[in-house]
Amino acid sequence: MRFQLGFALFLLAVLSVPVYSDLIISKVDRKIDLTSQIVRVITTLKVENDGSDTVSEVLLAFPDYQAKNLVYLISTHNEGKGKSKGLATNLPIKAVHPEGMPPELSFFAISLIKGLGKGESVTLDVLAVFTHSLQPFPEEITQADTQLVIFRDSSYYLSPYQVKAQLLSVKLPNPKVETYTKLENTKLVGSEIKYGPYEDLHPFSYTPIVVHYENNRPFTVAEELVREIEVSHWGNVQITEHYKLVHGGAHNKGGFSRLDYQARPHVRGASSFKRLVARFPPRAHSVYYRDEIGNISTSHLSGDSRKTELEIEPRYPMFGGWRTAFTIGYGLPLKEYLFESAGNRFVNISFGCPMGDIVIDNLIVKVVLPEGSKDISVTVPFPVNQMQEVKYSHLDIVGRPVVVLEKSNVVPEHNQHFQVYYKFNNLSLFREPLMLISGFLFLFVTCIIYMHADMSISKSSASYLAKLQWDEVQATIQQTLNIINQCLSVHDKLEISLHDLSRTGDVQACKATRKAADVLLKELSKDLKPLLNFIQASPQAAQIWPKVEELIAKEKDTQEKLMLKISMVVDSYEKKSGGGRELENRVSALQQKLTVLRSEIDELVDVVGEI
Amino acid sequence: MAPSAKPISSPVPDAWYPTLAFLMLFVGLVVTASFFIYEATSSRRNRSIAKELTTGAVASVFLGFGSLFLLLATGVYV
Repeated sequence: MRFQLGFALFLLAVLSVPVYSDLIISKVDRKIDLTSQIVRVITTLKVENDGSDTVSEVLLAFPDYQAKNLVYLISTHNEGKGKSKGLATNLPIKAVHPEGMPPELSFFAISLIKGLGKGESVTLDVLAVFTHSLQPFPEEITQADTQLVIFRDSSYYLSPYQVKAQLLSVKLPNPKVETYTKLENTKLVGSEIKYGPYEDLHPFSYTPIVVHYENNRPFTVAEELVREIEVSHWGNVQITEHYKLVHGGAHNKGGFSRLDYQARPHVRGASSFKRLVARFPPRAHSVYYRDEIGNISTSHLSGDSRKTELEIEPRYPMFGGWRTAFTIGYGLPLKEYLFESAGNRFVNISFGCPMGDIVIDNLIVKVVLPEGSKDISVTVPFPVNQMQEVKYSHLDIVGRPVVVLEKSNVVPEHNQHFQVYYKFNNLSLFREPLMLISGFLFLFVTCIIYMHADMSISKSSASYLAKLQWDEVQATIQQTLNIINQCLSVHDKLEISLHDLSRTGDVQACKATRKAADVLLKELSKDLKPLLNFIQASPQAAQIWPKVEELIAKEKDTQEKLMLKISMVVDSYEKKSGGGRELENRVSALQQKLTVLRSEIDELVDVVGEI
Repeated sequence: MAPSAKPISSPVPDAWYPTLAFLMLFVGLVVTASFFIYEATSSRRNRSIAKELTTGAVASVFLGFGSLFLLLATGVYV
């Protein structure tokens, strides 16, 4: 293979490089996990210091063809040994370019917390994650074929240090291996290929190995994923995810037969996938799944107290090279994601996508903060591109600040929480209701203005003047009726006081009430006079005037009769005559008349009021 | 995440939104009705602008909050 020849040349160049430092790797155990489309390499290193100087950095080397696919690198260090392992601490890693090293290699330096003194040793766990490292071969397959992929690495651990003992195991999804490079001490056990142990190898020892095997696991690649996280202080975090998926495996050739697929989906569609599972946090609600056409009904939602699981099926089974685009949305309760500390608010939410085993080529996370948020800062556990935008949404005036985080090559290992800090004044919460209120108020004020505005064009026409006069007459009659009603209520009060008198015999109280009523009625009749004069004088009120007149007359009559009745009753009480039969008859006669008058007045009030 | 961080929740519990929306819209619509009845029945001369404005203001406060809670209850988190 051309590839191997290239590395033979590269090896020659490498072997001439001098030993980098006094560190010795006494034991390396590498486990390469090839069960999915993502390659995970877990390396356990036991590093010894053979020199006399204290060393604080350990170098990791990757050939360039691997380094360009390296998306995640983490190193942990366990303090304890054996079963008494303590908490693993993450060690900082940075890319370095040491001098005198072959240019075909990329280096990363792990900084040790304590320097490694003479004769000391330390055990490090390194996890490296690679994407797009499994090359489909053949590159095009038919619907019925299974997917074969090629993986390349070195059987020796590539390191700038001398390696004393090493082991490598490659874990495959199933035992179906097409070919694999056979070296000394190589064996295939089940679905695992073991290389080694190899002992006492020079720095930069490298022997290429190739594994060609069957991998039908979904090669789900999101070419672009836009996650929009919208925070509302009214109690919700709305997450909308726009996916552009592609099957990243071997391309499909020779067309697609739905009949074959439907009849034997596992044989005639082994390389395809038709369902995806998204795991949302617990208490996710209002979940939807749609695309440009509309809702996609092939989804199932289930959940318990620890998670919410959404199983979705794209509109068609996904074969190699096929694309699909859709949107998932869900809401989360605010109090689990928004916190306050030291006057700052912060959103604490997961960065990556909720789907497992997916590679995201380009992930854009947008955090939409409520309108009025200030002093925004972001804490992300890995490097990302940051930008700021403004989004206009419901009931916005100046728009909502949006933090845009962009990262390429995202794997499930990046599903870590990140924080967006901001300042927010609680009064800004009332912007939205205030907008609604002012909207409604505007409507009412418009109505008021319209009702008060004089819209007529000709201000001097006869009909306009007549209308004005009629308005005035109406207003006057309304006022008149108001006064009459007041008079009637005074009458009622007097009747009540009479009733009280018959019950308690308190003559003084009754007299006082009458006095007050007299004053009130006098005032009312004084008020009434100009109104009546106006009604009588205006020609438009000619029709209604007789009724008004009658009403006034009847009211007067009632008033007089009532007063008479009161006088009679009060007199009888004062003289302690006890009221003869004659008095009783007279009072009841008056009462009858009053009742008749009252009903007539009520009728007239109704008639006059209806003009 | 700092240990002193305390969670922030909405000023009104979510579960109240539908009830609040219904009550406030009901009151708001009743006041609106009284506003329009007053506008239609009182004559131009003895209409009091203060009364109109207060009725309008009260109605718009109720309708405003009512429609906000209606939006929130239906899932449009503003």
